Amino acid sequence: MSTAMPDSLQQQLLNDLLVESFEGLDRFDHELLALENGTRDTETLNVIFRVIHTLKGTAGCLGYGRIEATAHVGESLLSRLRDGKIDVSADRISALLALSDALRAMLQHLETVGDEGEVDHGPLLARLQALQEDVPPATSVEPEAAAAMSAATPAPAVVEDDGFGLFDDEPAPEPAPAAVAATAQTPPVAPRPAVPSPNSDSEIAPKASVSESAIRVEVGQLDKLMNLVGELVLARNQIIQNVTQPDPAALLAASQRLNLITTELQGSVMKTRMQPIGNVWAKFPRIVRDVAQELGKKISLVMEGQETELDRTIIEAIKDPLTHIVRNAIDHGLETPEARLAAGKPEEGRLLLRAFHEGGQVNIEFTDDGRGIDVERVKARAVQRNLVSADQAARLADREVFNLIFLPGFSTAEKVTNLSGRGVGMDVVKTNIEKIGGSVDVHSAPGQGTTLKIKIPLTLAIIPALIVTSGGERFAIPQVNLLELVRLEGEEAQRKIERLYDVPVYRLRGQLLPLVDLNRHLQLRPAPDAHDIVSIIVLQADGRQFGLVVDAINDTEEIVVKPLGKQLKSLACFAGATIMGDGRVALILDVLGVAQQTRVVSEMREHARAEDAREADQIDDRQTLLLFESRRGRHLALPLSMVARLEELPLADVERSGRQEVIQYRGQIMPLVHVSRFVGDELEERPAPGDDELMQVVVYSAHGRSVGLVVSRINDVVQESLAVQNEHAREGILGSAVIQRRVTDLLDVEGIIRVAVPSFHHHGDN
Amino acid sequence: MKATILTVDDASTMRKVIALALAGAGHEVVEAEDGMAALNVLKLRHVDLIITDVNMPRMDGIEFTRQARTLPKFQRTPILLLTTESDPEMKARGRSAGATGWIVKPFRQDQLLAVVAKVLPAA
Repeated sequence: MSTAMPDSLQQQLLNDLLVESFEGLDRFDHELLALENGTRDTETLNVIFRVIHTLKGTAGCLGYGRIEATAHVGESLLSRLRDGKIDVSADRISALLALSDALRAMLQHLETVGDEGEVDHGPLLARLQALQEDVPPATSVEPEAAAAMSAATPAPAVVEDDGFGLFDDEPAPEPAPAAVAATAQTPPVAPRPAVPSPNSDSEIAPKASVSESAIRVEVGQLDKLMNLVGELVLARNQIIQNVTQPDPAALLAASQRLNLITTELQGSVMKTRMQPIGNVWAKFPRIVRDVAQELGKKISLVMEGQETELDRTIIEAIKDPLTHIVRNAIDHGLETPEARLAAGKPEEGRLLLRAFHEGGQVNIEFTDDGRGIDVERVKARAVQRNLVSADQAARLADREVFNLIFLPGFSTAEKVTNLSGRGVGMDVVKTNIEKIGGSVDVHSAPGQGTTLKIKIPLTLAIIPALIVTSGGERFAIPQVNLLELVRLEGEEAQRKIERLYDVPVYRLRGQLLPLVDLNRHLQLRPAPDAHDIVSIIVLQADGRQFGLVVDAINDTEEIVVKPLGKQLKSLACFAGATIMGDGRVALILDVLGVAQQTRVVSEMREHARAEDAREADQIDDRQTLLLFESRRGRHLALPLSMVARLEELPLADVERSGRQEVIQYRGQIMPLVHVSRFVGDELEERPAPGDDELMQVVVYSAHGRSVGLVVSRINDVVQESLAVQNEHAREGILGSAVIQRRVTDLLDVEGIIRVAVPSFHHHGDN
Repeated sequence: MKATILTVDDASTMRKVIALALAGAGHEVVEAEDGMAALNVLKLRHVDLIITDVNMPRMDGIEFTRQARTLPKFQRTPILLLTTESDPEMKARGRSAGATGWIVKPFRQDQLLAVVAKVLPAA
């Protein structure tokens, strides 16, 4: 006589059960771990108990007997724990965590396949049963629940009485014999959903799991949305009315209202999609515990900024990468207690997770105090795997070595453990993060630990972008990748762009910026007047900078990202498309894709070391140094802070004023000093200047006057913490240091000028 | 007779299951997620029957029953305890708090409707 519920209703209740239960089990795990760590209060056990209690009741009512029976055994153990009849022990916590896994597995099976699955949880139930006693009972005791579980047909766990009764009727309860019989044989309330036949897969095709496709929204938030939609309708009415009875003033007012409402609506809808990152992190304590236990390590997990919010699609996308990073840190980053003690560190390793908003992006940092990345071992492995040549490896800066771990096919583990070595490498982590417009960066100090930094956008749906024009087409460049805009006009446009190793470059504040011409790259015809003005968009990709040359820079706009169709998806240089205000389509450039396709980033690596050093650390004793060579190829350096400009001046322009070589520079007479004379190179006879020969001049300015230091070649700008050895000091040289594995003399600029241009400082003093 | 029934449970799925069954029988259903919320409902409106879970955060079903009985309007209103714990001690506590009867989870729809029909005052 039990009324069968319609399938759709049953499905809806099942969805509710799944959402509620997954949430509950997460809380269950979390509280159990808190219990184990000794941060328990009386409520903790109640919360834990209630999760299982609720799951048991609800699953039972919906006819899921196996889940109910499994939960029942856990409930018995928990009720004894709660009542203080038995104590909390590691054994019991482990068994309860295993119970939560088993329940989750059954719920997942229910979600994807439609039934509870056939996995025999008998041994687990026997274990839970055994743990209810203070003294473990003899193993031969086969608990009734285990037997019940092993049975093929699901049976309700316990039927202590008729199912209901009234206190007034006691001791003669309502008989209801039909009910008793039914309870024993048929599932209560609802029929179990039929296992769908394989060809009805459209219904159960595991698109998104329930917990992913359902979201909780505060009623207040919904009300606000409804309110805004109401406003939107009003604005629409006003605009429609304007079509028939045009009134420019009213139209303007309506447009302004529409703008306001849309912005607010956008914000509100975004808010409903935002979820705290803590939702993803919630399972980490459990993972850390399990993995650490398996590897015999002691690790404390500290999480900061759990409340940091992200769009739910991004949350979904980073779930697996983040989990992998955590596993990796425990497996490779942190040492065993013995190794830590031997290294003079506390026995317990520390893994710190931090999340925070910065510059419209979310930053997530994983810091461990483990052994750090072994640069030499990484190099050796990379060479062994043919990822780089031995020669290349030798020349790599530390930061570049760290980045080798992100190459496909790289694994530093001496032996592949079943934790990290499951075929998912750090390369997959990096790819997945970059797919959603994020970036991964790693820093490490030997013996002190490793920090992995992830930056990801808040949302993927609507992003601020710069609109540019090239070859008559408009393109959108996501603002996250944008650093600055440079506009060169007229003669400057011709002169300031140089070529270095066949790559066009622009010197941006003394640093070489490789350039990519968008027209050439996309084979577009440049606008006819494009040569007078060069617009360079300085972009960041893969932690490096490059300049994109376009015909014109238009404006910044918030664009709605539309995915590209199948046919265009494989084009690496486009991330999507958007529709502009005039209804035309603009393609969104994938900055990383462009950089990789043009190879501009990798080819310029050698020359972009300055960047490495600047980003590689926050150590304060580093200085930025300009590296250059004297005539004899001696390596010299001077602090970049003393450099006003770097110039290439024609040798033919050099004039003489008394014994001093000078050159006209920016309306001044600038004395020139040949550095070679002060660093022990013999003075060579200068060859007769050819007309187009250029000399490299480092301009030093003080007190409104400049001196040009003539050098043979400017090599690089680096950040180094200097270990200057003063015993090499002599005239013109402050001392020596090893920079980029070369002995480099530190130039005493003031000293040289004092000797070479005695008048310079006199003037300054006056 | 059509009645207004208050169902109290911290598990929203469970509330839905009960609400669906009762609505199917033509009753109006009011939901509350724990004893505290249920007491607030009782201060605002009339109900003919209360079905409450026992184990809930903030205020459990037994305490709720006890407090509901102190409200003049609800001294005779039937209160059914919904629970998986059917041990005699719990029943005794429920009875002394003033509950009318109990339903053990899991229940079948017809069991629920039968006990509801039994305790509702005849129209």
